[in-house]
Amino acid sequence: MKVVIIGGGWSGLAAAITAKKAGADVEIYEKTDMLLGLGNIGGIMRNNGRYTAAEELIALGAGDLINLTDSVTKHKNIYFPGHHHAWLYDVNKIEPVVKEYVEDLGIKIFLKQRVIDVKKEGDTIVGIILYDGQFITGDAFIETTGSTGPMGNCLRYGNGCSMCVLRCPAFGPRVSISARAGVPDLQGEREEGVCGAFSGSCKIGKETLSKEICKELDEKGVVIIKIPKEDINLEKLKQKVCQQYALKEFAENIILLDTGHAKLMTSYYPLDKLRNIEGMENAKYIDPYAGGKGNSIRYLSMAPRENNMKVDGIKNLFCGGEKSGLFVGHTEAISTGSLAGHNSVRWYLGMPLLTLPKSTAVGDLISYEGNMTNTLEGKRKRYTFAGSEYFVRMKEKKLYSTDTEEINNRVKKLNLQNIFGEAII
Amino acid sequence: MNYEIIDCIDAGTQFCPCHLAESNECILCSQLQGKSFCDCKNWRGTCIYQEFNWNNNIATSERESSEGLIISKEIIYQDLIKLVIKTNHHLCKELVNAGSYVFLRCPESSPYFDVPISIMDCDIQKDTISMIIEIEGIKTKKVNELNEKDTIMIKGPFWNGVFGLKNIQRCTNKNVLLIARGIGQAPIVPVLKQLYKQNTIWLVIDKGRYEDVIIKEYINKYPCNIVELKTIEEGKLTQDLSSLIDDYIEDNFIEHVHCSGPDILIQELITKVNNRTATSCCNNAKVCCGQGVCGACTTRFEGHVVKRLCKLQTDPEYIFEGRRQI
Repeated sequence: MKVVIIGGGWSGLAAAITAKKAGADVEIYEKTDMLLGLGNIGGIMRNNGRYTAAEELIALGAGDLINLTDSVTKHKNIYFPGHHHAWLYDVNKIEPVVKEYVEDLGIKIFLKQRVIDVKKEGDTIVGIILYDGQFITGDAFIETTGSTGPMGNCLRYGNGCSMCVLRCPAFGPRVSISARAGVPDLQGEREEGVCGAFSGSCKIGKETLSKEICKELDEKGVVIIKIPKEDINLEKLKQKVCQQYALKEFAENIILLDTGHAKLMTSYYPLDKLRNIEGMENAKYIDPYAGGKGNSIRYLSMAPRENNMKVDGIKNLFCGGEKSGLFVGHTEAISTGSLAGHNSVRWYLGMPLLTLPKSTAVGDLISYEGNMTNTLEGKRKRYTFAGSEYFVRMKEKKLYSTDTEEINNRVKKLNLQNIFGEAII
Repeated sequence: MNYEIIDCIDAGTQFCPCHLAESNECILCSQLQGKSFCDCKNWRGTCIYQEFNWNNNIATSERESSEGLIISKEIIYQDLIKLVIKTNHHLCKELVNAGSYVFLRCPESSPYFDVPISIMDCDIQKDTISMIIEIEGIKTKKVNELNEKDTIMIKGPFWNGVFGLKNIQRCTNKNVLLIARGIGQAPIVPVLKQLYKQNTIWLVIDKGRYEDVIIKEYINKYPCNIVELKTIEEGKLTQDLSSLIDDYIEDNFIEHVHCSGPDILIQELITKVNNRTATSCCNNAKVCCGQGVCGACTTRFEGHVVKRLCKLQTDPEYIFEGRRQI
């Protein structure tokens, strides 16, 4: 049985791992020359409810990627406004570690292979078409192409291409595979009638910051600097993808996190104004290169899906990550991807597809987003374990916990322990 | 599986975005086809929507006519002439690749007299272009009134004289079969010139209605294996060509077939080759403006698909497959 995954970011990799563990042959097609996509500039794990989700994934048998990010963690249990016990992995170390791990599992990775279309027979996809016309067949397909960019979208719905890590001009734009298969995309909104949202952070080269800032970053993992009053822009918070970071503190302060580079927790910030801040006089953007002008635009390309991650209307297409909804973050991508990978094999075997119960954080997030995204109000929200509306719900439903044993027991009680780790073929 | 990968010959050049972008008729960009989101199947390495936006939502300037000087005119046959024209370096260097062509016109004629003529050879040291012209109708007859030392108007550069250009570009260390008939010999010269050094070439020449081969100078200059035969008879491939193709594909491991001849020959040839090799061919569409506007080259295909053959790059089979008459 062959599972074909389109997009080698966190979600695609998570899907590849669970599909492989379930017994499938797995191929990943990624348009750039690196795996991880936006994971190459992310870095924040285990903050707030993500801690629960990370431990839950481990208990469910899909902890591989969590263990890898843990292994290259630079700072553990740090606090920044609104966020507790965050772990920061080193974005400059993670990709080769993940690539080696995934290859060792026997998953085939095809880099610089942009997928542009599908071939269908009825409601079933029989294969994908690569940029050069090559035809790749498979039994089940998982789309994890994300919802970011490409350039034309970043221009129409944002401030234009800001040269982010996805590097569309170099490797070609993302194509929505589900839309190519005839299922129209859904869009998130940042305010009434305005589609998409800006990515929420930038990377500054640490060597371009003052010695004092660097020292504090290295020691504490976080630096908070007050923004001059005249430069505070609360309006910008509305545009942000990451509503968990759209707090007043993030508008009034420069918040830097040490993820290898200095992660600046704002969508974009004019370079001249940034350089007015003490210790940042020589600051230079590393990602996006034009972080002074804008950032990538997201949530323009989501597939309607069921809670088992199957795309509506297509028999053998699954989705994960931002492609599957208004999710934010690596942990969320790994969660949705893991379920998609596992269910692609179940589908092939004719088994009932797995829907994670709402008594798990992962299952509840997937089902809550699925319900909310169809409402007008819900389209303007993002869903993450790390904050905003969903973290409030997590606490209300008593799903939030940092007690590993409690989380394990919860999973055990549901008979779901290691469910993603077991071979079913 | 067959899947049509298309391109626009002008995408990413100084002539992009063009008037098609202004009217939501861009060949490649979904946003410039009136859609709300990117669906960039046929990426050329540049975002046309962004270029259009940066250009204040207007087309870039059109190609202009410039003056050239006829430095030699050779009457090969009564209805066949060879012109060598001195042009400017800026234009000349843009005409070196296979598929390049320009529009020629007498200075006193109106732009309606612009006639598209393929470049046979291009010398970027002397800034001269050579071409062979069949004197057929009103436009070419007017050009034929000009003589050596006369000024001639040249509009260019244009590049879409060959379909399947990407297949030609992929030819290195390959065995390649080139087939030319009649006036088709002239535009096959740049293909030969581009490929002969790094590939083994067999060139089939059908003299067509002419007594002799008209590109002798070039086949001496760019050595290749020459086979002279008749290619087509009563609308069908001759037995000679038909068995040559089978034999060559099997015995000489031909990996690419290029045809420079009439559409009927190309179409028969594509059927004969039947996807056993990559293909390319000359573009025989009627081209009047060359810039996607006049509509002379638009061709209809099944599924209400309209292809502007002056700008569209595709593989030869998609020029004929599903073609509709209107």
